[in-house]
Amino acid sequence: MNRLITIIFGLLLLVGCGKQGDLFKNPDPSDLGITFTNTLTESENLSILDYLYFYNGGGVSIGDINNDDLPDIFFSGNQVKNKLYINKGDLRFEDISQSAGIEGNSSWNTGTAMGDVNGDGFLDIYVCAVVGINGFGGYNELFINNGDNTFTESAQTYGLDFDSYSSNAAFLDYDLDGDLDLYLLNHAVHTQNSYGKYDLRYERNYQTGDKLLRNDNGKFVDVSEEAGIYGGINAYGLGLAISDFNLDGYPDIYVGNDFHEDDYYYLNNGDGTFTDSLKTYFGHTSRFSMGSDVADINGDGRPDLISLDMLPEDEVALKSSEGDDNIQTQKLRIKQYGYHYQFTRNMLYVNQPDGNYAETALMSGVAATDWSWSALFGDYNLDGHQDLFIANGIPKRPNDLDFIKFVSNEQIQQKIDNTKLVDQEALELMPSGNVHNYIFEGNPDITFKDRSSQWITKDTLMSGATAMGDLDGDGDLDLVTNNINGSPSIYLNTLDGDGNYLKLKLRFGGKNTYGIGTKVYSYHDGKLQFKELFPSRGFQASSEPVIHFGYGAAQQVDSLKIIWPDKSFQIVKTPALNQILTIEPKNTIPFDYKALHQAPEPLFVLEPRNLGLDFTHQEDNYTDFNREKLIPYQVSDRGPAMAYGDLDNDGKKDIFFGGSKFVPAQLFVQKDSVFSRKHINTFATDSLKENISAQIADFNQNGKMDLIVTSGGGDFFGKSDALLDSYYVQNDSTFTEQTLPEFFQNSSVVKANDFDGDGDLDLFIGGHTLTSGFGNPTQSFILENEKGIFSLYDGFDQDNVGGMVTDAIWDDFDKDGSMDLILIGEWMSPKFLKNENGVFKEVQGLDAKGLWQSIIAFDIDADGDTDYLLGNWGTNTKFKASQEFPMKLYLDDFDSNGQTETITALEKNGKYYPLETLDGLTSQMVSLKKRFTTYESFAGTTMEGLFPKETLDKAKVLEVNTLSSGYLQNNNGIFTFVPFGMDLQVAPIMDFVEGDFDGDGKTEVLAGGNYFGVKPYHGRLDSFPGALIRSEEEVILGNELGLDFTKKSIRHLETLSVNNRKYLLAVFNDDRAQVYKLNKLTLKP
Amino acid sequence: MKERFGLLLLVMLLISSCAKKEEPITISPEDYHNSVDKVTEVMIHDIFSPPVASRIFAYPNVAAYEILALGNEEYHSLSGQVREFSDIPKPAPNATINYELSALIAHMDMSRRLIFSEDKIKTYQDSLYTMWSEKNEAVFLASKEYGIQVADHVESWMNKDNYKQTRTMPKFTVNSDDPSRWQPTPPAYMSGIEPHWNKIRPFVIDSAGQFKPTPPPPFSMEEGSDFYKEVKEVYDISKEITAKGDESEEVAIAQFWDCNPYVSVTRGHLMFATKKITPGAHWIGITKIASRKTDSDFTKTVYAYTKTSIAIADAFISCWDEKYRSNLIRPETLINEHIDDSWEPVLQTPPFPEYTSGHSVVSGAAAVALTDIFGDNFAFDDDTEIPYGLPVRTFNSFKEAADEAAISRMYGGIHYRAAVDVGVKQGRDLGKFVVDNLNMN
Repeated sequence: MNRLITIIFGLLLLVGCGKQGDLFKNPDPSDLGITFTNTLTESENLSILDYLYFYNGGGVSIGDINNDDLPDIFFSGNQVKNKLYINKGDLRFEDISQSAGIEGNSSWNTGTAMGDVNGDGFLDIYVCAVVGINGFGGYNELFINNGDNTFTESAQTYGLDFDSYSSNAAFLDYDLDGDLDLYLLNHAVHTQNSYGKYDLRYERNYQTGDKLLRNDNGKFVDVSEEAGIYGGINAYGLGLAISDFNLDGYPDIYVGNDFHEDDYYYLNNGDGTFTDSLKTYFGHTSRFSMGSDVADINGDGRPDLISLDMLPEDEVALKSSEGDDNIQTQKLRIKQYGYHYQFTRNMLYVNQPDGNYAETALMSGVAATDWSWSALFGDYNLDGHQDLFIANGIPKRPNDLDFIKFVSNEQIQQKIDNTKLVDQEALELMPSGNVHNYIFEGNPDITFKDRSSQWITKDTLMSGATAMGDLDGDGDLDLVTNNINGSPSIYLNTLDGDGNYLKLKLRFGGKNTYGIGTKVYSYHDGKLQFKELFPSRGFQASSEPVIHFGYGAAQQVDSLKIIWPDKSFQIVKTPALNQILTIEPKNTIPFDYKALHQAPEPLFVLEPRNLGLDFTHQEDNYTDFNREKLIPYQVSDRGPAMAYGDLDNDGKKDIFFGGSKFVPAQLFVQKDSVFSRKHINTFATDSLKENISAQIADFNQNGKMDLIVTSGGGDFFGKSDALLDSYYVQNDSTFTEQTLPEFFQNSSVVKANDFDGDGDLDLFIGGHTLTSGFGNPTQSFILENEKGIFSLYDGFDQDNVGGMVTDAIWDDFDKDGSMDLILIGEWMSPKFLKNENGVFKEVQGLDAKGLWQSIIAFDIDADGDTDYLLGNWGTNTKFKASQEFPMKLYLDDFDSNGQTETITALEKNGKYYPLETLDGLTSQMVSLKKRFTTYESFAGTTMEGLFPKETLDKAKVLEVNTLSSGYLQNNNGIFTFVPFGMDLQVAPIMDFVEGDFDGDGKTEVLAGGNYFGVKPYHGRLDSFPGALIRSEEEVILGNELGLDFTKKSIRHLETLSVNNRKYLLAVFNDDRAQVYKLNKLTLKP
Repeated sequence: MKERFGLLLLVMLLISSCAKKEEPITISPEDYHNSVDKVTEVMIHDIFSPPVASRIFAYPNVAAYEILALGNEEYHSLSGQVREFSDIPKPAPNATINYELSALIAHMDMSRRLIFSEDKIKTYQDSLYTMWSEKNEAVFLASKEYGIQVADHVESWMNKDNYKQTRTMPKFTVNSDDPSRWQPTPPAYMSGIEPHWNKIRPFVIDSAGQFKPTPPPPFSMEEGSDFYKEVKEVYDISKEITAKGDESEEVAIAQFWDCNPYVSVTRGHLMFATKKITPGAHWIGITKIASRKTDSDFTKTVYAYTKTSIAIADAFISCWDEKYRSNLIRPETLINEHIDDSWEPVLQTPPFPEYTSGHSVVSGAAAVALTDIFGDNFAFDDDTEIPYGLPVRTFNSFKEAADEAAISRMYGGIHYRAAVDVGVKQGRDLGKFVVDNLNMN
């Protein structure tokens, strides 16, 4: 019976030709009259072994070449002839390739772009080619449209007949002189044996170097050198995105480079030159950069960018493919060779007001789409939010680890060397990467929902270049992909009237007939949508040169603001929906781009001379992962310590910065209007300790300030003196060290408070980790002050803590008049310890196990009671945790070698997998190499497959179920965790400080963060710009306030009062401290 | 009923086993060579670094040798002669043991325990076991039982050599601030391998530092300094010999002695590894050639392998001690930075510090051991590298071969002269100490 149902169901699925997703159907292309197939023919001299980009595929362009208002399709074939299909309406296409004369003569065609090069109102077609290697002949061809469905190849006439290694090209008017210029993207072919230094890019090479070609009256002139465009031999250019990224009216260029060469972010200086500003504005980029696309995904009027890479989502592919560098190789590439931070995953860059990009691919859900070629943003479901289509797939995965390490040597080595003959059988041993294309639904909050199995059917095709257009003229967006060894895929959007739209045809006139570079701002329902017309998008493709907006159920568009390439603009008021609107410049007035950058006066202004606080923290070369190879993140980089207090007893507060290994602590004393460095012998002699936290107070009540400093660093172990916390007592003006109870561990925080109300300050000291014992319990304790001597307080049960404490505050949270204590830490829930007649007892019983970093008391909901803001790891991370599926850390001596291992496990599709790769795990547990002799045998192994149940059961397990930062909302003394919005989840929040920063008489909290102590697989948590938290609803990011926190890792924030002015001090790990003047505030006496 | 059936089955089995043949099992030196070749082959597959490979060669040989020494008065046990090693257990008094068979089984089984891909050895082992079992099950079983017993004994001794502990010790930390320090090299930029190999218990030498070589010339990139001259010499030699072409004698020598277990290659979009035997394995191969050429009997063959592999293992411990002491930068890094940024060495630079040359030390030590066993001026045709597409080379003595192996590292562009000259001396001194202190026959 069951079987019958299955059969019937199966038959049902087979009914109808082509395939059907909820949103897109894939008709059989031949039914539409499209017979093109990009067939690759391998030969003795040509395969993936001879040409590294053998599988990159051809190109595709969509545009109306005969001006009949029906978009036509052009395909370039790698080895096969190009094809041009005329849209005859009703989804019928006619092959006019031969009569049109566009079949082409090059041996290996790549990307293609349509553009009206000569400004005659007809779209011309440019086709790139790889020429000069592997016997490839020909040149890049320019097919000039004769206006009668025929074309004349005229590349030489126009100066565009390059015979180099071209992968793609894009038309743009970079100098705003009214005609179309061209950016030509070329790729390198030299072996990647040695990185070479970054400066290879300065030395031009004709074959491999990119070119900027200026259109001088129909003749294209190579101006690359003078324009500041790199042209070296190590740029494997695959991605090309044009946009006015910095919104100054001049188009800018983003180039995505494969392998180790950095991507380029060319900002147009407006004088014919460009400045590569990648390192200034991007904290990190994709590593094996492939296609890219630009769209404003969050409706803030700024163009955002995605750059694709090849991180697999599938666990098996993930664990059997070569991934990121190890941390030392990465350091070498960055410090010795001068490259930027690059990681193997898609990167989504959200354009910020200060020009920086917040990279959010992980939290946005688009980081891992496997071997990805083309990205195209578009409002596919017409709901007013940008969705995302990603085409991918490769016939063979050359980065398969078994192939690299085991199969290749035995199977093909001899053949390659001796006969140069590619053994097809050996190539067959590489696994296929025929991953399905992805489509994501865009949400309003910069997250995307994977709709791959709903909106489209999951395919097994190798799709590359993709173009977008409205093929059937029904107002929604259709897609065409050029596939390897198969027919193209036609994705026909089946919305049919669900959702309103507008399609704009821009007719700018002059030589730039289609208005390339025009910007359109659309306003409806108080929402902004922003688009630019740059048809070359995605990968080796150009889309229909129209602007398309979706509006969902909205009934009215208030207005469209069209800014033409000549910086003039016009407004179209309340255009009727669901039509094609042809717009020409009419009653235009000049547009002032500066108006886009008029920020309110910043609250924070950097003090150019830092008030004399010339302090740069230097982290030492110690790498936790070399010793504790499996820990999920570092513990050695939590310094420096900082304390603010009047150490020289002159009525002005001074600043103590703790030392790091071999770098002594430093004291800056406050003078009349600046600070100056003061040498203190006692501090200088103790240069070994790595200080994490410090407190200045008169602990022995002799009228002079003393100092407590906690030590950590994750490097010293056993009973090393460098692990002991320090207590410096001031007598006269000298400091002498006094003993504290001995605890040999990495301490985190020290907080002083007179909890017993006896008039002197007692201490809480938090324990973070035991070196080489990550996850094992440390001791946190209270030290009771008796006349300046500290002793262990026994009303505090150390076992109560459990977890790795990072921060604490003293506060009477139950308002019973006695000081309570709140502790937070990693792999633990916030602990409310109630002081009951001197005994601390846990209350609240919160279940929010996080990687908590910081806490501050603040009435965020303005209801009169105290809430607590909590800084956590954030959600923009490879870590994954929920109540249902917590992230787990297993602790045990798994291989019985006397050494405890930590194994982090993450859930995927309901199962737990080790976070680490096989190489990672075996670097600590070599015995696993006996069990997993291939990567294939390991890939997809769950935790239960890795270790027997008994082993896992007896291991100690730590959990995290909350990664979001947020706050504990006080509801009549009961605390409930409420996560912050997405803006505050892009990176760990490391510290908070309270104050009235905007001069409105109310208190706000300023948050700072970012953290870099993770392996390259995790990337770099660098995108948090800081934020001013006024209330639950009102959060203003630091990049709108004048703060320069992005790409830096905060450890401490403190408000300073100097000479009756207020300042903000920001202290970073391994960077220079910053002092900001609070613009709105002078200190009220 | 079930029980009865079981009993019947047992009886039938017993009858059938009684009916089995009782032919003598003869073991030839070739069987031992095959076993050594097999483990070499698996080591190549599994990718063991040269120091680790030397350990995998040594312990199985010791297990085999000890069994033979027990049944042969001409040879003396290593008990008391190598560190912390005690007498192997004696076989049961009435056991019908074929000592050669036991030795071979011990060798195979120890080898299986040391490599990763056990299946590959097991398949080989099983086919032999079946054959022997068919010939004479009783002798086979007794010999096997004893062989395994000795392997267990050797393993428990081996397990105290600190190898397991070194697996969990810290990875090597690159210090890129000091220009003289070793840095990872192209194309794979692998981390420095086995930084703690000097903590492995040696066999004969009293400590890893016993043959501590003189330090390399002081680091200086001042033209005219001794160190700079050595860097320049590597570059000049390389230029000179590559100009002569791939067919030149020097390039042929470099490639013949490459012995790099993992050379990573990029071709088109493909990355793969070409794998070869290690320096130690090459000298194990020469041991085979010499044993065959002298028609050595089974015991002498095992003796030769054992002594040579012990010398090689200690040589690696001594050499690695110096490598991570001097922690010297490779010529490739310096030449690329100071002389010619596009220069590539003839051989791929292996992933560990430069001084002293591992191949020089190991070849020096192995040649002394082999000379001790087979005599000086022992001419031989070295066909060890044929499976890796390299030709046969002819040598008049082990010493001559070792000298060539040493200088090959300069032709290969991966070592300075001091590492080669001092290295080969370090190896010879160590080799002499090993043969002087081992009283095996």
